Amino acid sequence: MAREKVYLEEVFPSPFMQLWGIFRKTPVAMVGFCCFIFLVVLAIFAPIIAPYNPIDGNLDMILVPPAWHEDGNVSYLLGTDDLGRDMLSRLMYGTSLTFGLSFIVVVFSLVIGVVIGSISALTTGFKSSFLNHCLDVVLSIPSLLLAIIIVAILGPGISNTVWAVAIVFIPQFIHITRYAVKEEFRKDYVLASRLDGANNFRILYYSVFPNIVERLMSQATLAQSAAILDIATLGFLGLGAQIPLPEWGSILANGLERFYIAPWTVYLPGLAILFAVVATNLVGEGIRHALKLRKDN
Amino acid sequence: MAVITMNINYFPTLTLVAFISLLTGCNEGDKLTLNERSIIYCSEGPPETFNPQLSISGTTTDATSKQLYNSLIVYKGKNNTLAPSLAKSWHVTGDGKKITFYLRQDVSFHQTSYFTPSRLFNADDVLFSFNRILDKQHSFHYVSGGQYPFFESIKFDDLVERVEKINDFTVRFILKQSDSSFLANLATDYAIILSEEYGSKLAANYSNHDLDILPIGTGPFKLKDYRVGSFIRFYRHDDYWQEKAKIEQLVYDISPSKTSRLTKFLAKECDVSSYPIAHKKITDRKDLTLESITSLNVGYFGFNTKRKPFDNKLVRQAVSLAINKQALIETVYRDQAERAKSILPENSWAYDSSIAEIAYDPERAKELLTVAGYPQGFTMDLWAMPLQRAYNPNAVTMAKLIQTDLKKIGVKVNIISYEWTAFLRRLSQGEHQSFLLGWTADNPDPDNFFTPMLSCSATDKGSNHTFWCNEEYDQLLKQALKTNNISERKNYYSKAMAIINEQIPLLPIAHSKRFQARDIHVEGEILEYFGGINFSQVSKKPAKSIINQVIPQKIEALLPQDYTDDEIITEKVKN
Amino acid sequence: MLTFTLRRLSLFIFTMFALTLLSFSLSFLFPGDTVINHSGQINASATELAELNKSYRMDQNIVIQYGAYLTHILNGDFGLSAVNQSSISNDILKLLPATIELSLVALLIAMLVGIPLGFIAAIYHNKVPDSAILSLAMLGYSIPVFWLGLLAILFFSIGLGWLPSSGQISLLFEIDFVTGIQFIDILLSDSPYKWQAFRDASAHIILPACVIAVAPATIFIRLSRASMIDVLASSYIRAARAKGLNFRQIIFRHAIRNALIQIIRHVGLQFANLVTIAMVTEVIFSWPGIGRWLIESIYQRDYSAIQSGLLVLSCFIFMIHILIDFIYAGLNPLARGNKYGS
Repeated sequence: MAREKVYLEEVFPSPFMQLWGIFRKTPVAMVGFCCFIFLVVLAIFAPIIAPYNPIDGNLDMILVPPAWHEDGNVSYLLGTDDLGRDMLSRLMYGTSLTFGLSFIVVVFSLVIGVVIGSISALTTGFKSSFLNHCLDVVLSIPSLLLAIIIVAILGPGISNTVWAVAIVFIPQFIHITRYAVKEEFRKDYVLASRLDGANNFRILYYSVFPNIVERLMSQATLAQSAAILDIATLGFLGLGAQIPLPEWGSILANGLERFYIAPWTVYLPGLAILFAVVATNLVGEGIRHALKLRKDN
Repeated sequence: MAVITMNINYFPTLTLVAFISLLTGCNEGDKLTLNERSIIYCSEGPPETFNPQLSISGTTTDATSKQLYNSLIVYKGKNNTLAPSLAKSWHVTGDGKKITFYLRQDVSFHQTSYFTPSRLFNADDVLFSFNRILDKQHSFHYVSGGQYPFFESIKFDDLVERVEKINDFTVRFILKQSDSSFLANLATDYAIILSEEYGSKLAANYSNHDLDILPIGTGPFKLKDYRVGSFIRFYRHDDYWQEKAKIEQLVYDISPSKTSRLTKFLAKECDVSSYPIAHKKITDRKDLTLESITSLNVGYFGFNTKRKPFDNKLVRQAVSLAINKQALIETVYRDQAERAKSILPENSWAYDSSIAEIAYDPERAKELLTVAGYPQGFTMDLWAMPLQRAYNPNAVTMAKLIQTDLKKIGVKVNIISYEWTAFLRRLSQGEHQSFLLGWTADNPDPDNFFTPMLSCSATDKGSNHTFWCNEEYDQLLKQALKTNNISERKNYYSKAMAIINEQIPLLPIAHSKRFQARDIHVEGEILEYFGGINFSQVSKKPAKSIINQVIPQKIEALLPQDYTDDEIITEKVKN
Repeated sequence: MLTFTLRRLSLFIFTMFALTLLSFSLSFLFPGDTVINHSGQINASATELAELNKSYRMDQNIVIQYGAYLTHILNGDFGLSAVNQSSISNDILKLLPATIELSLVALLIAMLVGIPLGFIAAIYHNKVPDSAILSLAMLGYSIPVFWLGLLAILFFSIGLGWLPSSGQISLLFEIDFVTGIQFIDILLSDSPYKWQAFRDASAHIILPACVIAVAPATIFIRLSRASMIDVLASSYIRAARAKGLNFRQIIFRHAIRNALIQIIRHVGLQFANLVTIAMVTEVIFSWPGIGRWLIESIYQRDYSAIQSGLLVLSCFIFMIHILIDFIYAGLNPLARGNKYGS
């Protein structure tokens, strides 16, 4: 390592920056990351970019195939559905519903999960055992099933779906935070700050969190890809977003009826879901890969 | 530990080998015979009951009337002439008040695992079947709810004084007044004949309810097995009094989802499919055909005239004016329907073309809304039927289009849909504000449109879900039934049409064709001109003979029809 | 092993308690009368209602009510479906085996495909086959199952016409219900078309089972890859290599066995995942299983059915979970150690 500074000054990049350095060098992960950013932008600016209203159809333009098809129309790039709604606009708006909501859901459950997880990491004995049992029960039930259960209780609808998925992911974050915090607390640097007189909260905030944030992020990407799939699946089953919301899963379910005459109404939302999940997973893989490399170094 | 690993190592190979040998080592011969002897029909919904007396839903009559039962008389041919069935002849007295039926003496009832008949069909069975409906003291009248919607809608109990048994094979209906649609009504899918012997046996076992669940009739098929909401299995009735059915097994595969029904049909999991979507997909395939029949029906948008705001005639008019029917027909029916100008189809003899239809006029609609006291519009519920019928192939899409139309005059529409049985139940309880439904005629008599859909008698329990009741209208219908003079009748009906057009208890939308798709191996007529379907004439050709010789001719024979259909549909899709 | 069993037992009892309590409380959370939600008897007359109130101890305090509810459940009485008034326990008994059958076949496929692929990836660690398999796994893991199912139907059933698209068996065959597992029932039946029925049933199960298997198979790929990489890096493999065993012998005699044990541990969790995927797939392939039934019950707001369906399904998943834990513990003594209450 060549040092060009005059004074011998050790500047260690923060763990997070180290990770970013490695992450940046993995081309596949960067592609995924760009797609992810693209989706985030789309989710935020969909109402501005989208050429048409996603809910009001143009009845003169029913079931127009995508533009590359010989009967296609360039002003409807991805075609229209059975009510003459522009597929491109619906998919764009759908980004903010399926992808955007899943992002918000994950952030929400992450925050709640981390808080509960850190508290529980500091408790021991019966309370801890009880929590463990509960977590074990909840974690053994797959997220989609749990979401279906919660939607069954709350009733179908997009807001209920969001709540259900949020509730489902909290235990995962509790579990991972608890595990990570406990592991960190056994390490010497925590002992050092404890000897300095820091209280638990201070240790958590200044020493532990910076060291576990990547692991949480990696878990968050896993959770988000699952959340996208869960929201879309519930939408597809008719338990999530209701007519006429352009949620990807429900667009797909809606297109099913015209599957044989307008297959693009089924292919396109499916591809959109696949794209979003792959992008998220690529980012997650990139983080995990980088984490592993950093550890190896 | 080692043992287990060994197992894991060997298991896959073994299973794979077994699996492959099973799949490829075919001996198709036997399976073909079973396949040849059976028909699988993909139906659009489950029957509510196995007794069509109790229901007016087409799904129920499709599954029961012509398969399990016979009626005294039937409609035959395209001219709709009345023909004998269980009654070999009949006689009407000059005043039209006494109708005598002479019954066949060689008709046997089904023999099933739950009932073995000891005698042939006779006059007691006719009396049992009709007295059940007419006589409130009858031990079976209140079994299964005591509601006979079709018979209530035509005021059967007001019309029939009594049914008399003259001798074992002669019965006489005594009417209170002459009624020109009486015979037509007896030829419908609802006026079927049950077994009196079976009824007495059930009564002795205190299991009266089974009469409508485990049916016994005289029809070409008998019930073998019904798994609720999943499938119905019929076996052939071997002692059928007419030529017995050519197939031994008839299975109704209940598939309410349009797409999965088409998928099953395209994947050849069923031989015949009701109400197919994506017609082009079917006509494109050489081994499948699409057929249609112009049936007398009407799909409509009804208002609950007993609930606000639709108790106000002006609101009903305004809403009707705001709906672009032509767009509905293009989108929902894919142009496979005629725009309805009144509840009566134009090909009915009673149709009067001088009565103007309610045209699309959103401006006028807005004015009327203001006059009616809703200048800001209002919010309403629209109930869309959950399944597909000829008269409305996609009520939910139609509801969405209506939602858009009405938004333009400031009316906000909430679309509501329930599972079919619940939908009908809640409709008859009047929980709705407005609804999308339709009516398929059971006989060509115009009265079959006017009375069941909108008369006062059909209001409470029957089929008039608008709860609209108009004395003058009812009077006109009554007078029309009293006369046998066609031009007089037409006159009455045209006045009735004018009242409907002015009051608008419902907005007629379309008269559509009924479509059905089938595999070319399946031969014989299935679609009946009125109402239901009939599998008694259907047979299946052996696949081999088709491969060898029949296919070339068959395809040629089909081409012209295929192409015409094809062209129409392709054009619409492109639009 | 005793402590292990006791721990599992306590976990099991705790879970059953939690699940029944949840199911019990659902009756209060759902709209409508509690006792009607318990029993599903929507058309109950006044006397019947009084009878029900008595049998569910509705006049007593909540603990006793819960006890009465438990008694009903333990007697196999889940009440009636509010939609068609059929006995829910009967419905479940008829539908659950179909789901189990489908899930087991799918699990088998997932393991048969996933584990060898994972091993291959590990053996070629960081080479082309490894990254190819990993990319494939990533794709399989990301694809929405309902979409995959539709594409599979479109391609294999309609395009190629090879496999049927819906149901468990062609309706032509009449197979009496004995166990509910179709293949066993066919073998037990005396139908003259037994072997055709068997072939038909096999053809019916392939497509849905493969679609379900895709996601779990990718998990098995990752698991088996990771565990194989660990095993290959371990000292006993180095020792074996030093002994002069060739690569093949090392892989087949030592590595696979030890890697497999690690995987078995995850089968339980994957089975749960698989059952959920199966629920969605059942809807697409019209498979007459409990998942489709449950989802339809949700559409129709059939509260008593939802409640019991959820209870049975989660109990079933949990039991499988514990069962696999036992198998794993039986195979691997190291796993019987302390795990909870730390």
